This record gives sequence, C-alpha cells and structure tokens, in this order.
Amino acid sequence: MLQAIDLVKRYGSVLALDGFSLSVAAGEIVGLVGHNGAGKTTFVEIVSYLIRPDSGHVTIDGRPPSANKGKVGIAPQHIALYPSITVREHLVLFGKLAGLRRAALDSAIEELTVALRLGAFIDRREAGLSGGQQRRVQAATALINRPGLLLLDEPTAGADLETREAMLDVVKQRAGDGAAIVYTTHYLPELVELQATIAVARSGRIIARGTYEELVDGLPGEVRLIHDNEEEVRVSTTQPAATLIDLLSRAERPISTIEVHNPSLDDLYRSLAVSDAS
Amino acid sequence: MLLDTGYRVGPIAALRESVYRIRALSNHNTIIRLRDPGQTISYVVMPMVLMLVLKPLYVRAVDGGTTKVVTGLLVMFSVFAISIAGNAILAERTWKTWDRLRVSRAPAAELLIGKTLPMYLVMVLQQIILLTYGCLVIGLPIPGNIPLVLMSILVWAFTLLAIGALLAAIVRSHGELSVISDVGALTLSSLGGALVPLSLMPDWAQVAAQLSPGYWALQMLQAAVAGDTAGTLLPAAILLGIALVAGAFAVRRLTRGWGRGGLL
Repeated sequence: MLQAIDLVKRYGSVLALDGFSLSVAAGEIVGLVGHNGAGKTTFVEIVSYLIRPDSGHVTIDGRPPSANKGKVGIAPQHIALYPSITVREHLVLFGKLAGLRRAALDSAIEELTVALRLGAFIDRREAGLSGGQQRRVQAATALINRPGLLLLDEPTAGADLETREAMLDVVKQRAGDGAAIVYTTHYLPELVELQATIAVARSGRIIARGTYEELVDGLPGEVRLIHDNEEEVRVSTTQPAATLIDLLSRAERPISTIEVHNPSLDDLYRSLAVSDAS
Repeated sequence: MLLDTGYRVGPIAALRESVYRIRALSNHNTIIRLRDPGQTISYVVMPMVLMLVLKPLYVRAVDGGTTKVVTGLLVMFSVFAISIAGNAILAERTWKTWDRLRVSRAPAAELLIGKTLPMYLVMVLQQIILLTYGCLVIGLPIPGNIPLVLMSILVWAFTLLAIGALLAAIVRSHGELSVISDVGALTLSSLGGALVPLSLMPDWAQVAAQLSPGYWALQMLQAAVAGDTAGTLLPAAILLGIALVAGAFAVRRLTRGWGRGGLL
C-alpha cells in the first residue's frame, strides 16, 4: 500500500530524513517510534504531499502522493481544528471535502460518533473541548471517509484513558477493514496492544523493524532478589527465567522478594537513547 | 471494506465534485465569519457615523462634497477591511488547519476560492451598504448607471481581497498583519484622497497620490457614481492589474503552505 524508499529531506543545515525507507501493507499497522527529531513527522508530511523530499520516492497503491490526494487520512501531531466550529461541523466539512454526500456522510458521522465517543459534545465548539476530546475529533476528521492509508501522528499524546481506549479500538477496526496505518507514538504499550509492526526511527532513517518479540529479543532484562529484606541481588540478563532458576537453586538464605523484569519496548527505547547519547 | 464515496473521474463529475467542495468550504468559512462579526460591523458603522459628522465640512470645502465624503470614507474603511481578509487567511496558519485542507481532495484553487468567496461577499456587501446609506441618509444622488457602480465595487473588493491575501501570505504574525494593515490602510487611503479631498492636499501629495490604490479606487467610484464610463475604466484596469499581481503572489505562496517557520 505505502512504499517509501530512500527519502532524504534537509531543512537548511538540518538533515531531517537521511535515507528513510518504510513500507506498510494493506491491513497492517506500523508503529513508528523514535525520539523527537528522528524524522517521523517529516515522513508523515512527505507522504501527505505537504512537502517534497529532496530525493527518494514514495508510492501509495503504486502511485505518487500527488495522485492520492484525499485518499490519505491524516491526524497531525498538533491539534489543527477550528475554534469556533462545532464537532459536527468539522465532520461535515472534512466529510464533504472527501466527497461524502448526504446518506453516506450522515452514516459516517454516526459511526464515528459512536466509535470515538463524541456524542456528549458533538454540538459543542472546539474551543470548549478538553485535550482528549480534541484528539478524538481530530482523529474523526481523518477517519471520516475511510481512507485506505491512515497517518496518525501521536494521536493519543496527552490524552485521557477514554480517548486512548476509543482510539485504539478504532485503529484496530480500521486495520481489520484493510486500511494501512502508520501510527507514531511515544506510548510503546499501545503498539503492543495494537499488535503493530514496530519501526524504529533514528537520525532520519529506520534502524530497526519487526514485531515486538523480534525487537526486544536480545535486550537484557533483570532479575532482582532480596534476602531477609536486606541484601539485594540484581542480575542483568537476556534470559531472566533461566537466571532466576539458577539464582534460586544457589540461594543459601531465605528470600523475601523476587522480581523478574522481562525486556520491554521501553528498554529498547532506552537502549536507543544510550546509543544516541554515546 | 473501504467506503465508496461516489467519486468518479470524468469532466462533468469532476466539475460537480469541485463545486460541491467549494460550496462546503464557503459555507464553512461563512459560519466562521458570522460567529466573529465584530470587525466587519465596526467597518460598516464607523464610516456611517463619520459620513454624518464630516458631510458639512466636505460640502463647504469642495465641489461635490457629498459624493466625496461618501466615496472617500467608503474607500477608507474598505481598505481597513483588508485586515478582515488577511486575518481570516492567517488564522488558518494559527490554527494549523491550512495543511489539513491541503491534504484533502480539494486542490489549492478550490481551497482559495472557498476561503475567499465569503470574504469577497462581505467586502462587496460593506460597500453596497455604505453607498446605499450614502444615498438614503447623506444625500448622495442615486447613480444613473447602477451596473457601472456595481462593477466598480466588484473590482475594488477584488483588489482589496488580493492585497489582504498577499499580506497574509507574507507576514509572520497577527501583530505584524495588524500593524501593516492599519498603518498601510491609513496611509494608502488618506494619501489617495479618501480622508481629505485631494484638492485640499499639498502639491507633492497630489502627485504621490497616484501611487496609492486608494486614489484609483476613489477615481473609479466617483466616476461610476457620476455615470462616467470612460472615467471608470482606466482606474478599474489599474486596480485589476494590482489585484492580479498581488493575487498571483498570494496564490503561489498559499499553495505551498507556510512551512514550519515563522512566529506563529
């Protein structure tokens, strides 16, 4: 569905993308993670045809972004809504711009109102909404015409639990319907819940890609034992379970606390931060 | 299953879709305008009050004083309305919504038409209201050639809209826009003879006046009100030229978006 190859983009002396390549298949959710400045938003803007790469190319369904205007749903990282316009008026505007007409438009608004739990504030103006509500409205405007490619740039940043739940449910549902989804986030557990393929961006390129299990495999976890509520033993290991058994078999004093910390995406993130710093 | 939106390629279907999107954008921008009418109302009410106050002065000072006070203040406050157009466009940048629209199926031309059409109508309406008020309350003779007056209003509103769009495309903040449009509007309109009749201004100012779009607007409107077609056409052509240059620059800039820079 989406194929980006060797994208390079420079803003003055800043190299935002440096050979960024990423592909997303129909029905696939790719979680794009990376530190601020890793190139995630620049990539989203190029795919949306808001900016042009200096080199490299992007195709969506085999065609360039210029030929796919309106077929990409984008929810940008920052809130981009009209303060004096109600939620329903936003949905009507973006629905009509996407070509939806009466029955189809009504039905799409109805569906999103339920799915993203907009009902309680659908006739309220954007200026009176909470941050989480604004996030849901923004996502709804991106989803209104069921685009084949969805670019959700940190859609749950600063959002409450209700927003997060609603958003993840809708994203899963849309992927199930066949949409290709790029989901950038700093909340890594969301990607596990979405069963997303994870692509890690750093310094303008993708440095790792795989399932959660593939990416954390090989990262060290930790086993922590406390003897008699006093002496603490910490062992960093790539095989926490085996290490725990080994430690228990050799323990000579009573153990009051056992903690096993399996490697997680947060560890992956931290390991990248360490490599960045070094 | 992805939703079938009914979109079909083909010239007639494409035209119908284009009109549909422009209507959606125009309705949307009309709603925004109606919910924030303060500036527009003030640019209609203030010249009405000033016309009443300044009419005796104009009538005593110059020939055709009634025409000059009505057209002069009309031009002056229509120039102020540039900031309405500028702010409306610049707000899309403040709200970061312009890029959302650029990602939609609507091409840049549709976005600009949908955005500017309501503002254009506001500007046309402002001038029609002021001229009607001039006739009904101030004593301006009812023009003999209404289509000529209407044409002049349309040309002048188009020029103002283009200048407003140009300003919105180049300034970095609402503060900058406010300074440029207020100082610029006052300078252009007063230099053009909208505040004080040209014949009362110093010689150098009468020569410099010709650099101001306000001067040509005044010449055009006064000729149109007098039913002088020949006298209307030259200033109308000059204003259209200014509008096309300013509009072309604004379209080029807005089509590409503002990027990430700037103060906003």
